[in-house]
This record gives sequence, C-alpha cells and structure tokens, in this order.
Amino acid sequence: MKYPPNFLVIKVMCSGRVDPQFILEAFRRGADGVMVAGCHPGDCHYIEGNYKTLRRMTLLKRMLREFGIEEERFRLEWISASEAEKFVRVANEMYEKIKALGPLRIEEV
Amino acid sequence: MEQPRIGVYICHCGVNIAGTVNVREVVEYAKNLPNVVEAKDYVFMCSAPGQEIIREDIKKCQLNRVVVAACSPTMHEHTFRTVLAEAGLNPYLLEMANIREHCSWVHTDKVAATEKAKKLVEIAVAKASTLEPLEEIEFKVNENLLIVGGGVAGMTAALDSARRGFRVYLVEKKPILGGNTARLGRLAGTDMRGVDVAGSMIEYVKRNGMITTLTNTELVSVDGSVGNFKVTLLKKPTYVNEKCTKCGECVKVCPVEVPNEYEFGLTKRKAIYLPSPASYASTYVIDGENCTKCGECVKICPVNAINLEEESERIEIYVGAVIAACGYDPYEPSVGEYGYGLSNKVITLFQLNRLLDPEGPTNGELKIDGFVPRSIAFIMCVGSLNTTPNSYPYCSRMCCSSTLKDILLLKEKYPNIDVYVIYKDMRTYGRDEQLYLTACEKFVKFARFREAPKVSVTGESLEVTFFEETLGEEISIPVDLVVLAVGMKPPKDVEKIRTILKVGCGPEGFLKEAHLKLRPVEAVTDGVYLAGAVTGPKNVVESITSGSAAASKAVGLLCREKVRIEPTIASIREELCSGCGICVSVCPYGAIIIQIKENTRSAKVEPALCKGCGVCAASCPSGAAQQLKYKDIQLKAQILAATYKR
Ligand SMILES: Cc1cc2nc3c(=O)[nH]c(=O)nc-3n(C[C@H](O)[C@H](O)[C@H](O)COP(=O)(O)OP(=O)(O)OC[C@H]3O[C@@H](n4cnc5c(N)ncnc54)[C@H](O)[C@@H]3O)c2cc1C
Ligand code: SF4
Ligand code: SF4
Ligand code: FES
Repeated sequence: MKYPPNFLVIKVMCSGRVDPQFILEAFRRGADGVMVAGCHPGDCHYIEGNYKTLRRMTLLKRMLREFGIEEERFRLEWISASEAEKFVRVANEMYEKIKALGPLRIEEV
Repeated sequence: MEQPRIGVYICHCGVNIAGTVNVREVVEYAKNLPNVVEAKDYVFMCSAPGQEIIREDIKKCQLNRVVVAACSPTMHEHTFRTVLAEAGLNPYLLEMANIREHCSWVHTDKVAATEKAKKLVEIAVAKASTLEPLEEIEFKVNENLLIVGGGVAGMTAALDSARRGFRVYLVEKKPILGGNTARLGRLAGTDMRGVDVAGSMIEYVKRNGMITTLTNTELVSVDGSVGNFKVTLLKKPTYVNEKCTKCGECVKVCPVEVPNEYEFGLTKRKAIYLPSPASYASTYVIDGENCTKCGECVKICPVNAINLEEESERIEIYVGAVIAACGYDPYEPSVGEYGYGLSNKVITLFQLNRLLDPEGPTNGELKIDGFVPRSIAFIMCVGSLNTTPNSYPYCSRMCCSSTLKDILLLKEKYPNIDVYVIYKDMRTYGRDEQLYLTACEKFVKFARFREAPKVSVTGESLEVTFFEETLGEEISIPVDLVVLAVGMKPPKDVEKIRTILKVGCGPEGFLKEAHLKLRPVEAVTDGVYLAGAVTGPKNVVESITSGSAAASKAVGLLCREKVRIEPTIASIREELCSGCGICVSVCPYGAIIIQIKENTRSAKVEPALCKGCGVCAASCPSGAAQQLKYKDIQLKAQILAATYKR
C-alpha cells in the first residue's frame, strides 16, 4: 500500500489537541495543504475529543475561505487505525487535487 | 533551559528502511540541523550494540536530547526510553521519527523517500530541542474489584478473582443473580438447563466470603482512574428481609398485578413476588415501582419480614479495577412486527423456552389456550441481519442453534407436530451443525426467505407468506403457532454505563473492546475490562470464557503494587490563566477544577484524572492550559520544521 511522499506527519494524542492556529500557521509557513485525521465520531480514544475537533474545524473552514485558501487544501478526515486503505485513498485524492491547484500563494494570513 | 545537545540515530532496520531510504544521506543532513552534535546510523538500532552506541554517545558527547529515527514508537519507544534512563538522562528527552511505517514502507521512489526521511528527522530534531524532562506519576493500586452485572460472565469473573484472594463487589441491578442464562430452558448442545448452570454458580458465589453481592443495586458514578476508582452505588429496597420463609401468604393478598418479566410476560405476578422459581431465590421481594404501599402483605406476613419503610441506601466503595458484564437484552418485537402482540399465537423464542421448561408456567407443556399446536412456523433472524427496519445489522449468534435445540425437544415430546423453519441464513456454527443435521433427519422443513415474511392474523388462524428463494415463488403456510427467533440487543442502560465508565460503544451500541483482536476483554479506559455479551452476541461458553479472561486481566492489575501513568498530561500556568473555565467545560474526564486563591480564579488539573488528550490545551484562549510534551511551542516548532525550506 503506497501513498505520495509529500505528507509529513505531526503526532498528537487526539485530534482534539489540534488548535486551528496550528493549521493557519502551517499555511502561513508555506504548506500547500493540511489534513487533520482523527478517529470516527463516537470512537475517540478520549471519548469525545473529535466532536470538539469537528466544531473547531467547521469554523476554521469558514475562515480559510475568507483568507482565499481553496477548500480542497484543508481536509478533516475520520480514519481509524485499522483503515490503511482509507488513509491511502484520501491521501491520493488530496495530493491530486492540490497538484492541480498548484502551490499556495497568500500574501498575509 | 540549557542549550540542547542532540544526538540523532538512524536505523536501517535491515533493508526495511535502508532498502528505500538512503540512510547515509539522512545522517549527513541531520548533522547540519540546529543543535545536533552527533548523527550516526546502524543496521539495527534496537539491538544490544545499537543501544550501546546511544548510551556511549550520551556520555561521550554530553548529549542532553536524543532522536531515534526508526520504526513506529509503538514498537520501540519504550526500549529507547530505557536506554536514556540507563545513561542517566530523563527518558522523556527522547523523540522518535517514524521513517519506516510513515516512509520506507509506504513509498517506492528512493529519492523522494530519502527527502521525506530527512524532513521527518528535521521535525523530530525541532521537537527534541523543546523537550523537557518529565516525571512519571505513580499511584498505589487499590486491591478491590467491582463487577457490574451478575450474569454468567460477571459471576465467573467474580469467582475467579475471589479465589485468588481479591475482594469483589458484584453489583446486579435485578433482585437476583443469574442474568439471561437463568431464563433459558435447555441449553443448545448440552443436557443442562440454563437455570442449573446459573444456579450452581450462584451457590458458589454465595459461599465465597470474598464476594460481596449487591443485588437491586445500580451504578451511580465512577471517578478516578486505573488502580484507584471511587464508586458510588445505589442499593434499592426490596422491602422484605431474610426472615422471609417463602410461605407465599403475601402474594394471596397483594392487589397489584403486573406482567411477569421472568416468564417474558406469559404470566402475571403480584407486586410482591418470588424473583425466580429456582431454589436459590431466597426471599420474596417487592417491586417498588408497582407497589401501592397498601400494607396488606405486612398484615398477613407471619414472620414480620416486610418493612415498607425501608429506604434506598447510597454505598461508596473504592476499587482498583472494574469489569463491565452487563450482558444483553432480548430483542422485543414491536406490536405488529410479524403479528407479534396481535395474537397469543405469535410468541418469541424466549417465551417458547419458558413454555418448554418443566419449571415454567405450563410445567413444560406446550399448550396455547389449552391446545397443543399441530403446526409451528419458526421465523428466524427477528431483530437481526437487518430483516426489518427495527432490526440490528449483526447476527445474534445463538438464535439458530437455540431454535433447532427447541425444535428437537418439541419433536421428542410431540413427534407429530409439523415444523417449518423460515430462515434468511442458517448459522449453526461449530459443533451446533449437528443440530441442523438432526433436524433434517426429523423432517423439519426449511424454507428460505428473501424479504421478511408477512404474518397475517385473522381470527383464530395464522398464515405466513413469503417469497421462497429455492422454489422461486411466493408461498403461504397456515400454522397454529408462530415462534419468532429473536436475537440480542445492547442492554437497556448501556448508554448510562458507557458514560459512567467512560468507555466506548460500537456502532450497534454494545460496549467496545480496546482492540477487537488483540485486546478483546479490555476497554479503552485503563483499568476497565469487559466480559460476556456486553461486547456483542455470545453464547454461554463464550461468555464464561471471557469472564475468566477479564478476571485474569483485572487480577494482573490488582496484584501490582503501583501503577504508573504517562506524564504527558495537562498543566496550567496559573499566571496566564484568566479563570474562564472553558477547559473545565471541554475536559471529557472532569479533570480540571476552578480554584479561588486570594480572590482570583484559576484552573487546576487533577493529575490522577487527566488522561492527556490535550483538548483543554487546544481550547484555552489564554494559552495557559498546555499538554506536557505536546505544548503549543513544541507543536509549532514541528510545524515550522515541516514547512521550512532549506
Ligand atoms: C434466543 C436466545 C437463545 C439462547 N440460547 C442459548 C443456548 O441455548 N446456549 C447458550 O450457550 N447460549 C444461549 N444464548 C446466549 C446466552 O443467553 C448468553 O450467552 C448469556 O446469557 C450471556 O451472559 P452474560 O453474563 O454476558 O449476560 P446476561 O445473561 O445478559 O447477564 C447480564 C446481567 O447484568 C445485569 N445488568 C445489566 N445492566 C446492568 C447495570 N447497569 N447494572 C447492574 N447490572 C446490570 C443484568 O440484569 C443481568 O443479570 C441465547 C441467547 C438468545 C438471545
Ligand atoms: S404493600 Fe405493595 S407488595 Fe405489599 S401488598 Fe401492597 S402493593 Fe403488594
Ligand atoms: S488533557 Fe486536558 S482535557 Fe484532556 S483529560 Fe487532561 S485535563 Fe482533561
Ligand atoms: S483519540 Fe480523539 S480523535 Fe482519535
């Protein structure tokens, strides 16, 4: 099972640890895309962290739109530890979409 | 903070990594990263000589941080932490870069994989530069065990643990132990009745001085964490004490009549009743929900065993581990589902079990309105395999075997009854296949449905209509009795149990294992174990086996003197905290409280409760709440390294 080598992983204990600021920071520093991957709703190892993530990321998406960052550049995905296939599928899809968009150009985030 | 001096160690993992990643190039790249004073590679970093390289360098180069680029931390983080500790460094000054699972195994292009490995190392080095020493948190383990649910799984777990010398609190919400097994007639594949299996266990439980049985008792709350739980229970009154001689005089005068749940509603009982016909039911009990407190039973009771003033009792206990063994609830068809509730000739498999039980309401005679039916249709998968909109998607595992077992009993007793089994799929797995073969020999007629059959009730007659797969046409069978082979569904208050124990539920609503294959009797919450049908349909043997397995896991924890928990928990910088309380509201474990010191409010984390998810850190508007090892500055350093173009 293979996926494009452009993904770099930063580990957190739960998707609920992800502060939207981190994502803005990544885009500001030159990332062309950001994916947040967490357990399926109802399946969070810490009970309900991913529900918090869902709410936060819904707001973040709106902000990204305002900054003119195409929505394909950010993805929130529910992928369990046993779903390698899903991870690969999502990574490939995201890679293709971002390749089509080209590098992210933003003045000031 | 002292100036970081980082050593980077890159593993070939044989050819696992080196086959795809040019390790030498990564070493050279690492040498030029900020704060790196040494970088080396080795064929197997986790081997004894590999570990020795790191230990030596820590001393020789005065390293104060270490990065190991190798496999997943799940495999060897512990190994390398130990290496650091042996060389006198705090083990939390280690950072791992996973260049195997996250790189060499998932990429083919060597150039691209090497570039990615460099970046992963760079990210790890950035994180390492920000690491702080952390101390593991140690707690003494309380030796007691709480078991919730007194079915065969819970009783087995109780007996196994008590026999090894641990105090067990066995909590059962019903007035009597035994669970669903006690209400099954003859068990498939044996000559034993469910009530005998449950009964022998109940006797052992009663005799064991290490088991405190609390019936009619519910779980109110569980606080704390692995090794140290504080449990609050509510014991509800039965209003009858042990002086009761089971004379039954009270029943004659009690004016309140309700359906008897033990007999699945086939008969009625009074508000004061015997919870089971078996000998282990030692007293009558009053069901507080239906009793009108008229006092008639009190007047007639010859031994003054009844006290209607008895009150609920709150009980607090302390335990080190919890086993949830709350079992299942039988699927109850809704009125009209396959004609259920429209005629007393449409019954469930459980009701049939009771009718066939020598201690049941008809003393083992299958008589409906005084007559033995001449023909019976069994409709399978009721409540299972998505057969109706109300059904669950899974297979309930036992209904096929149990149905065939009942049919063979029937055929023994009434050889002339015509029996039809209308099924979607016959799943007599394992040894139970013999039941199917025997049923075929006895001329039981099997027919297969595609869509759920229709049961029409007109006056006294019943007809089952469905499209028969093998014949390829719709057929109608008139019968005297319809038996619905109902399955198992998650127990009624599973949601409550789930929230109290903070464990997960699967999509169907059963409690969820930490890992389906690798950790089938553990919950995701440390110190909580799962036994029996509460994780999904199981037969009696499987339930007992998992009860024993859960007990051995729990005892394994209880006999440890101390538990250690990862120090990667939350901590709050008081001087930054505004006391807004957002962290308190988001913490799924109630681990944060607001304290008031000299008129200022600030949040405080209780280390024993915090599980280290980091939700509070992501929510704190002032940056006061931080998760150790996953602080904002640490994660931002990683983001910076990931996006930095050299
Ligand atoms: C139609 C049918 C036929 C079957 N026939 C057979 C058969 O022939 N052979 C066979 O081996 N198996 C059979 N089974 C399966 C068998 O019933 C189960 O394997 C067995 O009962 C599971 O035991 P358990 O202890 O896990 O759960 P249960 O028997 O369900 O016991 C759980 C106990 O926990 C209690 N409880 C629930 N919630 C709480 C709470 N919140 N607090 C405190 N206590 C609580 C309940 O009151 C109950 O006493 C059949 C099942 C079905 C549906
Ligand atoms: S007090 Fe309750 S149990 Fe006793 S007779 Fe009256 S209704 Fe029945
Ligand atoms: S990290 Fe924060 S939110 Fe998570 S358990 Fe600990 S205190 Fe609660
Ligand atoms: S642990 Fe919370 S989303 Fe995975």
